Amino acid sequence: MMLEHVLVLSAYLFSIGIYGLITSRNMVRALMCLELILNSVNINFVTFSGFFDNRQLRGDIFSIFVIAIAAAEAAIGPAIVSSIYRNRKSTRINQSNLLNK
Amino acid sequence: MDLPGPIHDFLLVFLGSGLILGSLGVVLLPNPIYSAFSLGLVLFCISLFYILSNSYFVAAAQLLIYVGAINVLIIFAVMFMNGSEYYKDFHLWTVGDGVTSMVCTSLFISLITTIPDTSWYGIIWTTKPNQIIEQDLISNSQQIGIHLSTDFFLPFELISIILLVALIGAIAIARQ
Repeated sequence: MMLEHVLVLSAYLFSIGIYGLITSRNMVRALMCLELILNSVNINFVTFSGFFDNRQLRGDIFSIFVIAIAAAEAAIGPAIVSSIYRNRKSTRINQSNLLNK
Repeated sequence: MDLPGPIHDFLLVFLGSGLILGSLGVVLLPNPIYSAFSLGLVLFCISLFYILSNSYFVAAAQLLIYVGAINVLIIFAVMFMNGSEYYKDFHLWTVGDGVTSMVCTSLFISLITTIPDTSWYGIIWTTKPNQIIEQDLISNSQQIGIHLSTDFFLPFELISIILLVALIGAIAIARQ
């Protein structure tokens, strides 16, 4: 497996995640695009660990930490979204003014 | 996994095309439930990709945590919301979308022009002899377990505390 091909694939996933995170109007879709960005970072970690650090595998361990952080984020995010939806009956990003009094 | 060359390349192209189409589907499909299933396809392709690059433990963790837990949570969150508001303003393409797509395309192009210019194989040749001398017979998963319980013990405990606090906070937010 060529290293550059995997890096190009990861860069593609990262940029399309950034695009979806900025342009999506639905909060759940923004969470999905955040998962895409975290996955592109994980692909880079695992690939560099396989190529450069075959003995110590620090990249694999760090990608496990990233997966755990993503699990915490995916537990918090839908809880906040469902709380906002219960109060506002809407999950659009540009209409969330809950702090407005 | 040490497959012969053409099968390896075919699997790589197959997984790469699945990943590209799936991630386009996550961003561009109008209905969020389809984009959630497309996210599941992307995560599954990434897990097979880790198997191809010889890191089995991360592949199993990806398949269990991402596809099994996070994707199910996201599908649950999509199904919890009302479906009628999703179709309202999908078709309008505003100026902000165009600017954002231009910025992201320029980011992608700058990244893929930077990647071939960097001399990765110089780094490989400086670290390679070290690895051949120290090669031994324990597998990758055993090595990850040893590192997690010796060198990375404090981050491991911290990550478990963070996960516990996040889950309790999620329950406390969602049940009020």
